Amino acid sequence: MNTLESKNAKQMMKSWILPLLVGLCLLSACKQTEDLYIYEVNNVEVNQADVEKVNLKTDLEFVSIVYSDLFGSTLPAEELSQLVRTYNSMGDKKLVEDMIIKDLLTRSDVDMPTSADMFADSEQFVKDTYKRFYTRVPSEYELWFLKNYIDTHSDVTPEIIYYSFLTSDEYRFF
Amino acid sequence: MKRRNFLKKTALTAASTIFAPYILPSGRLFARTGSRKVNHVVFCLFAGGVRNIESIHQNEGNLLPSLFDGPFSTNPGIQFLGQSPWVQALQHEGTLFPEFRYQEGPTGHFNGHTVAVTGAYTDTSLNVRENPQMPTIFEYYLKHNSPSQTALNAWWVSNNLGPYPALNYSKHPDYGSRYGGNHISPPNIFDFRQLSAIDTPAIFQFHEEEMIGEIQDFLNKNSRGVGSLSSSGIRNTAEDDAQIQAFIQSTIQQVYSGAFSMPFGLSPNFLTIDMLNILFTQELLKHFQPELLVVNMTDIDVCHSNYTEYCNALVRADFAVAHLWNTIQSTPGLADDTILIIAPEHGRNLEPNTLQDVYGRFAIDHTSDATSREIFCMILGPQGIVNKGNIVGSASNPVGESIDIVPTIANILGFDVDIPSGLLTGSTLQQAFV
Repeated sequence: MNTLESKNAKQMMKSWILPLLVGLCLLSACKQTEDLYIYEVNNVEVNQADVEKVNLKTDLEFVSIVYSDLFGSTLPAEELSQLVRTYNSMGDKKLVEDMIIKDLLTRSDVDMPTSADMFADSEQFVKDTYKRFYTRVPSEYELWFLKNYIDTHSDVTPEIIYYSFLTSDEYRFF
Repeated sequence: MKRRNFLKKTALTAASTIFAPYILPSGRLFARTGSRKVNHVVFCLFAGGVRNIESIHQNEGNLLPSLFDGPFSTNPGIQFLGQSPWVQALQHEGTLFPEFRYQEGPTGHFNGHTVAVTGAYTDTSLNVRENPQMPTIFEYYLKHNSPSQTALNAWWVSNNLGPYPALNYSKHPDYGSRYGGNHISPPNIFDFRQLSAIDTPAIFQFHEEEMIGEIQDFLNKNSRGVGSLSSSGIRNTAEDDAQIQAFIQSTIQQVYSGAFSMPFGLSPNFLTIDMLNILFTQELLKHFQPELLVVNMTDIDVCHSNYTEYCNALVRADFAVAHLWNTIQSTPGLADDTILIIAPEHGRNLEPNTLQDVYGRFAIDHTSDATSREIFCMILGPQGIVNKGNIVGSASNPVGESIDIVPTIANILGFDVDIPSGLLTGSTLQQAFV
């Protein structure tokens, strides 16, 4: 009897041990996943104002980036092909960039704040514009100059600011 | 004593007035530029690989009735486009070198084009992804011509892209993009089949342009971009830039309005890329009247796969170049003051390949055999400047080669004497001139 009870107890233990082990394994697995979230990286501002940009954008990069910067979406392949063809069709790259940018700026679906938005919070507009086109924050001086420029020129438009950024020297680099 | 001093000073003043030195961009003290024959040169690369067998020897009948005397081909599959745009065969308008030679180097299209614009032969090391090693005719012109001109006066008009845009300036350390000509590929901008990518530009008013200038100036002074932008090509002056943009916009609007609906007086169905390139070259010539323009055609290269279409491409190129000459002669400022040079970049092989067209004719490649080096050259110009109806050289006595065209252009525009020795090994084709 004792032997039988002992056997039953062992069988019961066996029937408990297996699910218990599986449960522990799952738990430990879950815990490992949780551990991944423990090793978080502190937020670091990589778009510092004093960053140096040493790489000149290629023709393809320039056309693709100017489109995605203005429209917030990837350039469709057919349109990319046409724009690159147009870009390569002129020897003076500054000239053809200017023509492409002027054309893109007139499209109705360009993602651009209104003048009212710009004047309502010129500081935020300047910060957003630097981040959008230069992928960096403006220095204190840059922020002051452009904010002041907007605040003191009632006829300046977001289109003028965007055009100036897109045709500036820094925009050719990354 | 005072009188002697006075005379001495007077003599010195007179001498300095007469021999006042010009500080040229080339660094020369004195402008030694020679006299010009005319004020405009157009060089048409009748390119794509043209055999003398079809052009000069007319083995298929005359496929180039606007260029040469002889009855038009009556062979099957070859389409006559109509009366030539010019009153007589162009060979009567100048000097023909029927046995011109592409003497050295691979007979590749880019090699041939490079030789044509640099006046220096190339070898198999030519990199199609780079600008040429030797200076181009545009750089020689913009560096040595006196008085100095801007790139608005020097144009490379290519019918296609690929490596060809790189021919407007070289990598030569003494020349380069600062002396580069303008490049444009009209068939890729003024496309009849689709809307242009640059047809509706934002237009800024004068006071807006002023604001843009102020903001750009600030942004550029604080630019984080490190390095030179010069590697991105030539840069026109602000004035020239505005003129070119206005020309492009106006031409696009003309395309949209149907101003070119019957190009060359032909149905658009006949229009090839070559013809489109010549069509817009004519607009460019009329608008800017540049002193130097090089334009190419390459549809003829269909010969790799279809001989009959090669013949038809020759017919169309012939028609287009005659129309170009007609335009030059109809444009005040260009008429009687322009020399037109016509030459293929190289020829094609004697032996065909294995591809047969529907008429049973075999296609032909170009792999540097002796026949692929045989080409022609024609120099057309005003009476009293160019020898008219003149034929120089023969099969037994070939005269002229591809590297002679650049020095000839330099001589026509009068700056050949200012090009440093050692750069050009070809010679001026003097036989063409009175």
